[in-house]
Amino acid sequence: MAAEDAAHLYQAFVDQDPASAIQVVERARASGIDQDALFDALYVPAMAMLGGAWASGAIDEIAFTQAAVVAEQVGSFVMPAAAKRDTGVSVIVGTMHRDLHAIGRTIVAATLKEAGYRVNDLGVNVRAAEFLERVEETGARIVIVFAEMIQTARAVSGVRELFLASGLADVIILVSGGPFAADEDLAREVSANGVILGAESALKLVSRAARDRAREGEA
Amino acid sequence: MAARSKAVQAAEALARAGQVGAAVAACYDALALDHRDAHTHALLAHLMLEGDFYDEAISAATLAIEIDPDCSPAYLALGLAYDRRGGMWDQSVLVWHELAEVVPDLVTAHVQLGEAFAAAAFEEEAVRSWKRALELDPKEARATYNLAISSLKREGMALALPLFRQAGELDPSQDELFFALLGVKEGLGKPIDPARVKPNRTARIGAAGLALRDEDLFAAAELVRLALDEQPDDGEALALAAYAYLKQEATNEAMACALRALTLDPELTTALYTLGVVYAKRTGLNRHAARVFIALAKRASSHALVHVLLAESLMGLQRYEQASKTYRLAVRLDPACVRARFGLAASYLTSGRHAEAQWEIRRAAYYDTKRQGLFWRLYDAYAGGGEPS
Repeated sequence: MAAEDAAHLYQAFVDQDPASAIQVVERARASGIDQDALFDALYVPAMAMLGGAWASGAIDEIAFTQAAVVAEQVGSFVMPAAAKRDTGVSVIVGTMHRDLHAIGRTIVAATLKEAGYRVNDLGVNVRAAEFLERVEETGARIVIVFAEMIQTARAVSGVRELFLASGLADVIILVSGGPFAADEDLAREVSANGVILGAESALKLVSRAARDRAREGEA
Repeated sequence: MAARSKAVQAAEALARAGQVGAAVAACYDALALDHRDAHTHALLAHLMLEGDFYDEAISAATLAIEIDPDCSPAYLALGLAYDRRGGMWDQSVLVWHELAEVVPDLVTAHVQLGEAFAAAAFEEEAVRSWKRALELDPKEARATYNLAISSLKREGMALALPLFRQAGELDPSQDELFFALLGVKEGLGKPIDPARVKPNRTARIGAAGLALRDEDLFAAAELVRLALDEQPDDGEALALAAYAYLKQEATNEAMACALRALTLDPELTTALYTLGVVYAKRTGLNRHAARVFIALAKRASSHALVHVLLAESLMGLQRYEQASKTYRLAVRLDPACVRARFGLAASYLTSGRHAEAQWEIRRAAYYDTKRQGLFWRLYDAYAGGGEPS
């Protein structure tokens, strides 16, 4: 079936018929081929056929170029989704009060956004009360606090205390920054739930935290 | 400006011949005769820099500038010595700024000035310097790599990665990879007349490769067509066609030819290369690009750039740790690979390893400036009393 669809798609390219090409794609999608698989199942073989037709002289240079234009128009219908699906999980990120280090936070926040998390980036120099305010506003239950200096890293305990005092004991606090990477005990001392060591580490920990929370919700 | 003495000219000749030790000795001989000769001090600074004796290079270049504040090669040596030594960013900013004044169209001065600004945490000034470098030379790859790093710091990887790839395309090493896979080291350097190529498949494919190397896309296309007319199922001819289309930004045609070539021969490295590059240009096809580059890396593992291309796709997939390992492999294979160094720096930044990132950027500058051979350009212009060409 897929091979037949690919042949139809190729023919639509050669006929310079984008409407038919899109119909072929829609039909393949309706038959149950996942969006992420459409490119490999349909587009790749059709393009290989196009290359073969040009090589054999079945179509000339002009027809090849015109078919390539139609292929371009149809491309967006078969491409795997560029952005990851919305996870529905909100994450608050911010750098501690009196700390202006921004690079690590920016990279982690952008990585999480790209992975489909709803990221609320509070920026640098964020007071504990601002973390609390945003958690209450958004209902987020995952907070990532960045601190690159030992004093500001120790001050993360203030965020936890404020959450506890406000009845938000279930908020997961993850910490990130040089002091936490250098001293494994520091995260425990400030009552953090985990240490993020970079963008990929953030993806792993936030995903685990979101999974755990979802499980708790089900229970 | 005083004419150069015979003693200085002897030192120069030794230095140009790569006889560093003898050239240094000749410089000291020349200084014994005239210790106020800016040429000799500048030359000595360059030689010290070549030997990675940074403090000595700083001392000699400083003397040259004291003697003649217009001694541009001495500024170059001084700036490079500061940068390679590290930790002297404020001085470095001053020197590159000065050199950019003395030789305003010297692109490297602006790139280096930007890097010195960035190292001293003046990010906006750094970006301005790199943009100025790109105004002077839109193909300046290192300025673009630096802008990519800056974008990563301010906006994250999704926006930085296209800049890395854009810089990569400016980097001539990517084309070099294709020709290395093809087995064509050099072009003929003269036009090929397809009508005069022997009418057999081997001759035509060989000539098409040479024509591509010389960027004669028309001759290459004609030769490929002739080969395909004889044998339409010729994977190698299709791979050449794919590359020719890619060079003309006709990515769909390139994809069609590369896919057909791989249908005929799934292990054809030239087709794998072109298909991977085409996929890497498309948003959403990072996984596909990675798959193709993994296949290419298995078949051409000794080429550093293959691993760089794979690492870039891994970055697009947010697999930063694996990308970092892959970049490190590329750097091991080719320590002078600027693109790998910048990629590695980016991957380090994603895990908060700022010092290591900075080190990689400095190493990239080290190899890039060594490769450029700018000193002699400035020195000859200075010795000739004119502007550098």
